[in-house]
Amino acid sequence: MRHPWLRRLLDFHGLLFLFFVYAPIIIVVVYSFNSHPVNMMVWKDFTFDWYLSIFGNPTKLNEQTLYVESTDQLLAAVKNSLLVASTTTAFSTIVGTATALAVYRHHFRLKPFYQGLLFMPMVMPDIVLGIALLVFFVNFGIKLGLFSIIIGHCTFLISYVFVVVSARLAGMDDTLEQASADLGANPWITFRRVTLPQILPGIVGGALLAFIISMDDLVITYFIAGVDSTTLPVFIYGMLRRGVKPEINAIATLMLVFSFVIASLGLYFRKRT
Amino acid sequence: MAVKRDSRRLFALLTPGTVFLGIFFLGPLAVMVVFSFLEPGLYGGVEWNFYHWNYGRILGWADGEWEDFDPVYAEIFFRSVRLALTNVAITLLICYPAALWVSGLSARWRTFVVFIVTLPFFVSLVVRLFCWVLILRPSGFLSSTLLGLGLISEPIDIIYTETAVLIGMAYILLPFMFLPLYASIEKLDHSLVEASYDLGANPYQTFLRVILPSTLPGIAAGSVLVFIPSLGNFIVPDLLGGAKVLMIGNLVEQQFLSARNWPFGSALSVMIMLVMFLLIVIYLRRIGRSEIVR
Amino acid sequence: MTGAAPEPIAEVREAVKRFPAPEGGVVTALDNISLEVQQGQFATLLGPSGCGKTTLLRTISGFEDLDSGEVRIGGIPVTGVPPYRRPVNTVFQNYALFPHLPVSGNVGYGLEVAGVQRSERDRRVGEALERVGLSGFHRRKPAQLSGGQQQRVALARAIINQPKLLLLDEPLSALDRNLRQSMQLELKSLQHDLGICFLFVTHDQEEALTMSDQVIVLNQGKIEQVGPPEVLYHRPATRFVAEFIGDGALFHGKIQNTDADPVLVTEDGLRIAVGTGPGVGDSATLIIRPEHLSIAPEDPDDSMGVLDAVLEQMVFKGATRQYVCRLANGAAISATPPEASEEAFIRVRPGEPVRLAYRRSKPHLIVETN
Repeated sequence: MRHPWLRRLLDFHGLLFLFFVYAPIIIVVVYSFNSHPVNMMVWKDFTFDWYLSIFGNPTKLNEQTLYVESTDQLLAAVKNSLLVASTTTAFSTIVGTATALAVYRHHFRLKPFYQGLLFMPMVMPDIVLGIALLVFFVNFGIKLGLFSIIIGHCTFLISYVFVVVSARLAGMDDTLEQASADLGANPWITFRRVTLPQILPGIVGGALLAFIISMDDLVITYFIAGVDSTTLPVFIYGMLRRGVKPEINAIATLMLVFSFVIASLGLYFRKRT
Repeated sequence: MAVKRDSRRLFALLTPGTVFLGIFFLGPLAVMVVFSFLEPGLYGGVEWNFYHWNYGRILGWADGEWEDFDPVYAEIFFRSVRLALTNVAITLLICYPAALWVSGLSARWRTFVVFIVTLPFFVSLVVRLFCWVLILRPSGFLSSTLLGLGLISEPIDIIYTETAVLIGMAYILLPFMFLPLYASIEKLDHSLVEASYDLGANPYQTFLRVILPSTLPGIAAGSVLVFIPSLGNFIVPDLLGGAKVLMIGNLVEQQFLSARNWPFGSALSVMIMLVMFLLIVIYLRRIGRSEIVR
Repeated sequence: MTGAAPEPIAEVREAVKRFPAPEGGVVTALDNISLEVQQGQFATLLGPSGCGKTTLLRTISGFEDLDSGEVRIGGIPVTGVPPYRRPVNTVFQNYALFPHLPVSGNVGYGLEVAGVQRSERDRRVGEALERVGLSGFHRRKPAQLSGGQQQRVALARAIINQPKLLLLDEPLSALDRNLRQSMQLELKSLQHDLGICFLFVTHDQEEALTMSDQVIVLNQGKIEQVGPPEVLYHRPATRFVAEFIGDGALFHGKIQNTDADPVLVTEDGLRIAVGTGPGVGDSATLIIRPEHLSIAPEDPDDSMGVLDAVLEQMVFKGATRQYVCRLANGAAISATPPEASEEAFIRVRPGEPVRLAYRRSKPHLIVETN
């Protein structure tokens, strides 16, 4: 560029930007190892105790501070989250992929309607969808619990899978499928041998995205979770509302690591061609 | 491929999604709209009578008979719109130069930086907000650090202010602005910029006359994608705004989980949805369908 | 047609296909088309883009259904038969090689799908690759091949099933000029060796003339003319064919008789002597090819026609020179005289008048009898 000072200004802004994005996260990770029992933000010593304490192991620290949340509840929330996320991922991946195949491999009059229908859940504010589902479930006597959460998550996760798989389908040359048919393969063989291998990275990427969004969803779950079916984000939100405790640092760090791993996998699959 | 042979396959592929979204997406939205026109029951629940005062209440008239005009809900609604717009401006000011910066990096760095900017987006919302609770509390990181450095003499209290809410919202919605902006800046034909310099324009003129107009679709997409979740947000004002910075989302939550006035909550929710539809329609009219960037 | 005529390998009867136009209304892609191609023939569908040639090809391969009429392959109607059950194979314009499969996987795809044994398949894949000159490329992925090599893989993949009819949809359009010319000859000899009927689609008239036994000229969903390249070039049946194939100046007008020799008089009054044949009062179009023209001798005889023109420029084309002239009515006309008569041209400077002459019997006259 002809204006080096401009370039330097932009570089500076870029570093500030990355700092803004990552500093809060790093602070949480670092202070999850802080052993100061009273003020979390005053560094004392390095310790693993908060990690031990969230899994119910007795430590010196929780004797002093008695910040103990119920480990059973936490583990139940984790279990619920994993159960919900894996079920919704399986269902929305299949339905989202099927719908993408229908919309992007066929010509029919209602195509724009379907594109709009699948686009809507992604832009619908969480709170609107959350309370709409709540009113719906209660009105029709569907018990709030894991089942209602799974249904609720699927309503918008189908769209995410749809979008990711559609992008892949749109990028795929449809003469490949014609070539396969031309060489004597029936539609099923064509799907298995040509279409599926081509869109598989999109399907896997969409599934991972669905999984992580389901694991992380707070607002919609908050409204439609029953009393005894708390998921991890709702559980932590509840903890936070009652006050900030050092254990949350440790839980947050574990969740960060988990999200980073899944997201990296997902982006890897989406980028792969 | 020929239409006739495909129609059965199309039907099979389309049915599950249609049935599911029809019942569990469009269905609930329809029920919510119906609820917004029902009379709230005395002890929670609803009376099945047509009742339009739920909307009257948003504007300030609770029932048109006994209660006085009190625009408290309208004030909250407009505060929410104001905060959402401010948030759009903040994220735009942060992300535009950042996206310009990334687009100027070498190809390998570019992919990497886009990746690490996207990464926190996948971290749980609660976790990301918790980070800011830790930083902004009076006994939090910011306050203790500044105290420790001797820059301030007593703890500063940023949490439970509009500033805190804006910081939190900007932080969680950053990727929604960054990605569409980056996509449109990336698409920008670099020879246009060179042509502008070649014709004697300075960087400021080049930005204003060439770069900005061609990245307008990205700005529009990012603004819509940030505005919609900002408007209905209740988690951020709840954790970082406390009771002081009430937004329309908090109001909806209260109607459902404590006040138990479901019809009024539904009406508020319908308002949020209408604003969303309005924005999307304007966006599609002005920018066109092809530019939808997730 | 005599009774001994061979059974056509593919036959299209009264085919009609309409599409909704993007801006509303209907486009008729195939307007009552009938044609047949014979065993062992290299046939070409030639026409400008949008003339319906690709649609016609796709109705034979089975990717489009006809609105009415029928397609027969080997004498059997194939209406409603899906592409994967038709004994034809296609070389696609963009090759459509499966990017996730290696060359051997691509070429052997048709055999694999048909359930041919592994060992048999490997043998035939090897043969097919050898035939297109790609032995040893088995393991490459399509992305690692050049455009010309991809083209050959697509060809090998399409011929391995030994189709009754091979359809080629502008397969050479993505190649550069030199490669395209050598591929034209290779395709021609491949077709000769295999004895399979090739139906080739192109918009490039030179390509069609080079390769084909039979050319079918399409325009706006209708067949303009069917015939061998020589016939199309020298005796075009319609004005469209005359304009589309080869260079040349076209003159449209009415035939008048002056002193026993017929003359074509154009609307703007140009009088051009033509050969015998048409009756007085007929509307007709005359096609004068550049190679028909040379500089008129001092005393042209009765078998010659003469045109007064002004030389505008000389264009060097390597083997030949082209002289661009302008006639009295403002129309441009080109001459590529044989070397022997070129000397006369060389003496003329651009801007100077020139008398062009041609043998009356040479230029073709399309007569539209009223």
